[in-house]
Amino acid sequence: MKGAKKYVSMAVCSMQNSLAYRFSYIMNLTSGLITLVSLFYLWKAVFRGRTEMAGFTWQEMQTYLLVTFFLGCLLSWYSEGRISGKILDGSVSLDLLKPLDFQKARFAETVGSLAIEGVVSGIMITGLLGATAGISVPHSPLVWVQFLMSTAASVMVKFGIVYMTGLICFWTTGSFGVVWARIAVTNLLSGALVPLAFLPEWLQKLAEVLPFQAIVHVPASIFLGKYSAPDAAGMIVLQFAWAAVLWMCGKWMWKGAVRQITVHGG
Amino acid sequence: MRVRPIRGLYLYWRFISTQIKAILEYQADFWILVVSAVLTQLMGVVFIAAVFARIPSIDGWGFWEVCFMYAMIYVTEGIGSLFFEGTWRMLRYVNMGELDRFLLRPVSPVLQMLASAVGMNGLGNITLGCALIAVSLRHVRIEWTALTVFWTAVLLLSAVAIRVAINFGSNCSAFWNKSSGNAVPLAVHNVGEFAKFPITVFSHGVQLFVSVAVPFAFVSFYPAAYLFGHEDWTRYAYFGPLAAVYAWAVAYGIYRMGLRRYESTGN
Repeated sequence: MKGAKKYVSMAVCSMQNSLAYRFSYIMNLTSGLITLVSLFYLWKAVFRGRTEMAGFTWQEMQTYLLVTFFLGCLLSWYSEGRISGKILDGSVSLDLLKPLDFQKARFAETVGSLAIEGVVSGIMITGLLGATAGISVPHSPLVWVQFLMSTAASVMVKFGIVYMTGLICFWTTGSFGVVWARIAVTNLLSGALVPLAFLPEWLQKLAEVLPFQAIVHVPASIFLGKYSAPDAAGMIVLQFAWAAVLWMCGKWMWKGAVRQITVHGG
Repeated sequence: MRVRPIRGLYLYWRFISTQIKAILEYQADFWILVVSAVLTQLMGVVFIAAVFARIPSIDGWGFWEVCFMYAMIYVTEGIGSLFFEGTWRMLRYVNMGELDRFLLRPVSPVLQMLASAVGMNGLGNITLGCALIAVSLRHVRIEWTALTVFWTAVLLLSAVAIRVAINFGSNCSAFWNKSSGNAVPLAVHNVGEFAKFPITVFSHGVQLFVSVAVPFAFVSFYPAAYLFGHEDWTRYAYFGPLAAVYAWAVAYGIYRMGLRRYESTGN
C-alpha cells in the first residue's frame, strides 16, 4: 500500500480545511437542522390521531428523520462543490499534472471532510436524542455493526453519484443546475424526502432497481430493524456492488470528460 | 439623491435585458437550470401528494391549499432568481471589491446590484409554480369581487417584495462575513421551509419567528389563509403590505450598516 500514503495525507489536509471553515460548516448544519425541525413538526401533525402509516409508527418516523439527517450531513455540499469547482475554474488542469488519480484524490478529500462531518453530526444527533423522547434505538450490536457498514457503503454510493454529476460540469459552464437536479432526483429516489413506502408503487419499483436507495433507504431500514439479519447482509452487499459499479462508471466517464477540457491561458 | 422611479425602472430593464441576452448565449446551461428548478419543485409536490394520499388534511388544511402555499414559496423564489439574482452575488461584490464599480456610477447601487445577474432557474420555478397556483385556486370556491381581486393582488405583490427583501437583507451579511460561502443567506433562505406548510403545525415560537422576525409566513401562509377563507388567520393577512415595508426597511438598514463597514480591496 505504498501508493496510499499520498491519498491519506490529502484526506488529512481536507479534514483540516473543514475545520478552518467551521463557521460556514456550522451554518450549513443549521440549515439542515431547520429542515429537520420543520419536517418533525409536519410529520407530528400528520401522525396526530394515527398509530401507524405505511408501516411506520410515529416513533419509527422520528428515528427515520434523524437517521436521514445524519446521512445527509455526511458528504455535504462542501465536498460536492469542490469537485465541480475544480472543473469550472480550470484548476483541474493542475490536477492533471499531479501524479495522482483524480477520482481517488477527490475520494480521499471527501473522506477527510467526512470524518469531521460524521463526528459533529453524531454529537448533534446525540443531543437531539436527549431532546426528543421515544426514539427507537436498536439494541442488538449486530444491527449497529450492519448499520455502520451500510453507512460506509452509502457514502461510497453517494460519492459515485456526486462525482459523476461533478464531471458533467466539463460540458456545462455552471454547476448549480446540474447539482440541483442531482439533489432532486437523489432525494426522491433515496428515500431522503419521504420513506419509499409512502411513494406510489411504480416509483417504489423504480427506486428498487436504481442505486439511490443505497444512500438512505437501506441504512435507515437496517437501523429501524426492518430487515432480518441475513436480508440486511444481502442489502449491504448490494450497496457495495453499486458503489463498485458507480466507481467504474466514474472512471470511464472521466476518460471521456477530460477530453472536453478547455483551459484559458494560465 | 433624487429618486426617479421611471428612470430607475428604465435602467433596471436595460441592465436586466443585457444579462438575459448574456445568459441565452449558453443554451445548454439555460435548459439545465430550468429543468433542475422544475424537478426540485416537482419533488416537493410528490412529497405533499405522498402525505395526502394517506390523510385527508393536515390541521384542517387540504391538499390544494398546501399546494398553493408551496407554490407561492417557489414562485416568489423564481421571481427573486429571474429578476433579482444579483442579491446572491453580494458576497462576491464585497469580497472582490466589485462594489466599488456600483458605488462610483451615478445610479443607485442597490438598483445596479439587483439587476446585476439573472437566474434562469427562476423561469422554471415561476412556470410550474404559477400552474400549481392556478390549479389549486380552481379547486376551491372563491367569490371574486373587486375587493378580493384587489387584496389578492396586493398580497401577492407584498409576498414578492418580502421575499426579495429577505434575500437582500440576508445576503448583506457579506459585509461582515469574510469567508467564501453563502452560508448565512442560505440558512435564512432555508427558514422558508417553515412556510411551505400551514404554520399551525409548528410551535408558537416558530409561528412568531416566521411571522415577525423573518416574515416568510406572509409569502405563503397568510395569503393562503385569506384566499381559502381560514377565518382564524385571515385578519393577520391584511398586515402583508406592512410586512413588506418592514422587511425592506430592515434589509435596507442592514445594507446601510454594512456599507459603512465596507472597505474597498484597493485595486
